[in-house]
Amino acid sequence: MFFSLRHALIWWRGKVLENYATSAGKTLRHRLLDKIFALGPSFVQKRGTGNLVTMNLEGIRRIENYISLFGSKLISILIIPPLILIYAIFLDWKSALTMFLVLPIIITFMILLGKVARNRVTQKYQSYRILANHFVDSLRGLETLKLLGLSTGYAKTVGATSENYRKATIGTLTVAFMSNFALDFFSTISVALIALFLGLRLLDGNLLLAPAITMLILAPEYFAPIREFGGDYHATLDGKKAFDDVQTVLDTTITAKSCAEGNIASWSESTRLVITDVTVGKDCTTGSESQPNRLETFSFSWHGLGKIGVIGASGAGKSTLVELLGGFLNPKSGEIRINDANIPNLRHSDWQKQIIYIPQHPYIFQTTLADNIRFYTPQASDEQVQQAARQAGLDELTAVLPLGLNEMIGEGGRALSGGQEQRVALARAFLDAERPILLFDEPTAHIDIETEYELKKSMLPLMQSRLVFFATHRLHWMREMDWILMLDKGCLVAQGRPEDIFKHSAYQALNDIKKAKKTDV
Amino acid sequence: MFRTISGQSANNLKPQVKWVSDYLRRYKRLLFLILFLGLATYLCAAGLMFISGYLISEAATQPDNILLIYLPIVLTRAFGIARPSFHYVERLVSHNFVLRMTSDLRVRLYHALEPDAAQKKNKHKTGDILSILADDIEHIQNLYIRIIFPAVIAALLYLLAVLALGIFSIFFALFMLLWIGVMIILVPLVSLAINGARRYSQKGLRNNLYQSLTDAVLGIRDWLYSGRQADFISNYETNDDQLRTSYCRSNHFSKRRDFFWQMLAAVALAAVLIWISNLTSHGNLSTSWIAAFVLAVFPLIDAFAPIPEAFSNLPLYQDSLKRLNNLEQPAKSGVITLPEELVDTPITIRLHNLCFQYEKGHSVLQGLNLTVAPKQKIAVLGPSGTGKSTMISLIRGDLTPSSGTVQLNNTSSASLGDTIASLIGVLNQRPYLFDTTIGNNIRMGNPLASEDEILLAATQAGLHELLEGLSLGINTPVEEAGARFSGGERQRFALARIILQKTPIIILDEPTIGLDPKREAELIATIFDELKDKTIIWVTHHLRGMERMDNIIFLDNGHIAMEGTHAELLQSSKRYQDLYAMDTWGELKTNG
Repeated sequence: MFFSLRHALIWWRGKVLENYATSAGKTLRHRLLDKIFALGPSFVQKRGTGNLVTMNLEGIRRIENYISLFGSKLISILIIPPLILIYAIFLDWKSALTMFLVLPIIITFMILLGKVARNRVTQKYQSYRILANHFVDSLRGLETLKLLGLSTGYAKTVGATSENYRKATIGTLTVAFMSNFALDFFSTISVALIALFLGLRLLDGNLLLAPAITMLILAPEYFAPIREFGGDYHATLDGKKAFDDVQTVLDTTITAKSCAEGNIASWSESTRLVITDVTVGKDCTTGSESQPNRLETFSFSWHGLGKIGVIGASGAGKSTLVELLGGFLNPKSGEIRINDANIPNLRHSDWQKQIIYIPQHPYIFQTTLADNIRFYTPQASDEQVQQAARQAGLDELTAVLPLGLNEMIGEGGRALSGGQEQRVALARAFLDAERPILLFDEPTAHIDIETEYELKKSMLPLMQSRLVFFATHRLHWMREMDWILMLDKGCLVAQGRPEDIFKHSAYQALNDIKKAKKTDV
Repeated sequence: MFRTISGQSANNLKPQVKWVSDYLRRYKRLLFLILFLGLATYLCAAGLMFISGYLISEAATQPDNILLIYLPIVLTRAFGIARPSFHYVERLVSHNFVLRMTSDLRVRLYHALEPDAAQKKNKHKTGDILSILADDIEHIQNLYIRIIFPAVIAALLYLLAVLALGIFSIFFALFMLLWIGVMIILVPLVSLAINGARRYSQKGLRNNLYQSLTDAVLGIRDWLYSGRQADFISNYETNDDQLRTSYCRSNHFSKRRDFFWQMLAAVALAAVLIWISNLTSHGNLSTSWIAAFVLAVFPLIDAFAPIPEAFSNLPLYQDSLKRLNNLEQPAKSGVITLPEELVDTPITIRLHNLCFQYEKGHSVLQGLNLTVAPKQKIAVLGPSGTGKSTMISLIRGDLTPSSGTVQLNNTSSASLGDTIASLIGVLNQRPYLFDTTIGNNIRMGNPLASEDEILLAATQAGLHELLEGLSLGINTPVEEAGARFSGGERQRFALARIILQKTPIIILDEPTIGLDPKREAELIATIFDELKDKTIIWVTHHLRGMERMDNIIFLDNGHIAMEGTHAELLQSSKRYQDLYAMDTWGELKTNG
């Protein structure tokens, strides 16, 4: 009877806690996803894609687990031992006293040994990390090992390192398991002690058999919740850590003020963009060359449509400018005006929905070629997609794909070459004639010259009657531009028409290529 | 329905036990020790309760001779100490076993992946697949610790308990054989049939969620620009809710099953009580044993309780085992030594009528003829997919020609095996930096190199300034995959490695991709200065530096479409002129 009642209660407890944990998890998940999209790509880059994905899936699951596990354990430890103790006092106060006295000893040992184990792990964390990662590191570098002729012999190193890791791990586990051992040991010994005392007192005739046996059955139950509590200590630690991680993301504030809806006009021949003294990220004076994301007191204005080239060495601020224009970086100071409206930053859906962005590696989603092309315009018909694919020069590719436009591409699907990825991005742009602004960030940096030559033919028509910003190292594109911005170390050092810029002396200073060559020859 | 599913999973598991059973045999002794310790743990626990029960019952009869209960007193203490000790040692030994097996599995996995490693188009190329395989090994650890060991120990306890009962009563022993059999065989199998399939589909759903979320986070810009992020979130949440519903269902099943199982356990307990009372009432046994037998049942229930849940998790390991078993174990090849004619002599590379196809009817190279004399510098250009990488793999002997030959002097390159690494060094697009110090990374070019040689190579590769700026110098750790250094710096580390490798032939496989023109020009200058005495085959994607080359070839569709020196091509080929004009537009303007 009691036995079934007990298990029915356990069942009920589990159900209630699980429901609570699930609803809490759902709320957290929604808030986290919203937040990630609100914080945008610069945040993703800082935290790492893998980190955020794991946080969303693994982390929230851990939190739920933590809530239900910790909850059930807390309930157990708060209710069961005290109840048993009270009952035991009435039944046989001497045994109750024994049980009561052992408790602090167990908890003290548990905490002490737990601390020792943790210290040991943190002390050796660095060497552990290397040992643990060694295997994956070796697999990832296998090609390099093979090219160096070391791969065959390296198997021994893999084995030896793994063995070292085993020894180190066992060393830590020896201590880590000790805390469980202590729990086990003291609770078992207590049961043995209680049995002994009961036996001795029964022998003297001071006690009846029935309460003695009840005590003996209750004694392990008294210790069980405490043992359980220590048992999944790590699961609870993980859960708490995950919760803190999620909380830090949710607490990240979006510093920029957003402007009221409808402030940003749709770009046309008569629209004017004025950027005055805008600074993004760190300033020039303290920033070293390798510090990305900076632009200092940048001023620029443009009226209507046209093609604007952006050049400069790596780290000069080209990408920062593109990010600023795309609305993913906020100005620290300065002013942006579109027509006569003052815009605090361009992170605004009215602005962003006018943009087509084509980076060095356009992102290819794990779906069909056709769905990739219609990503911006999901309502586009198959004929329209086909048309856009043709304009972007994808015909050759679709001809060899077994399923044509319905072939799966992206990670896990068919891999595309750099040139083909660019063409998919171009097809997206051809399909979406509504968007008047094109942002290019090094679109051809990874592409061989012959493909670039072909690609250029497809790209030039796309740039007609649009506002284009084109950041690149490849100077031949500049011939096609109406205006050129030259950046160096985050500052605008020159601007003008192409024919003027390439006579300008600043270009000479910027481009050390020839210097390097001259000294070389 | 039960039968089909359990039958199916049993079939699926059959060929997959190879990676498991091999190691069970190899570490037989350790395995017996684990099983013995596990068994001993529960026997001590049962023994403790058994003796305690007997002790107090016996004491309650107030025996005249105190010695009668002296032995039980000693035994309770012994069991009390032995149980946690056995448990502690068992956990350590089983973890040791599993970690030792992990070492073996890793070496085995490494051997399976190693032979194809240098082929560009091998199936395990992406880092993700490698990580998945590495994770699979970790999963196998859990398979042992969470399923195999507890299940075997429970089975042994079951047999021992039934045998022990058999001493007293054959009928009752048979009854318990059946009853416990239901508890630890039938219930787990039913549980596997119902929840196993669910758990497996949950894993699939979870992977899908992982993929779709990763996809969305990587493409976050496009989602934001398209303004459709709300669509994604609602779609993702629908899928996630589906997974949650499935979890809820399987959890509810687990809870109901556990309750049912505990009721079965309660019946077993009651049966023992009735049986032993019956036995004592007939005077066969002293009443002191009643409490002993009944109490001893509790620890056994504890040992059996986790088995049903463990069984329903079995399908989770299916994929890991399948993947590992799909890796063929390569045949051991003999040791190859470098032929005399290639030791310390100038080497001429000859490609004669070279053809290659990855799959039938799809030729990558079609009759390529090329001779590279010692110390000659040649450039290879061509759009992606025209066979540049395949040509490199063929020259290095990683691939065997479909027809035609690749010869270094008079030896076919494919016959050289790993010794080719002493003749040909490769600098590729993304050289891998291992998670160790800069010095150790450079030393990989020649493991016997002294500290001074390493420093010299680093200086030659233009790393002097960088190393000066680091407080630990050459002993600075590079961290995972060299993330703390820029692309140009990583290439220079790899270059130092190759300088140390001292091979007569160097292949440059687009090493400057992704560098800006300034850094590219600097790196090329360093490379050609330091490697001027070597044969160089340079695969490149544009025309910077072509003036330095002795021969330029353009591959197109597996043929040589154009060939000649820079000056010749500039004069004879309109196409070359166009490309060159485009490539150097800004520079020529300022020059002129």
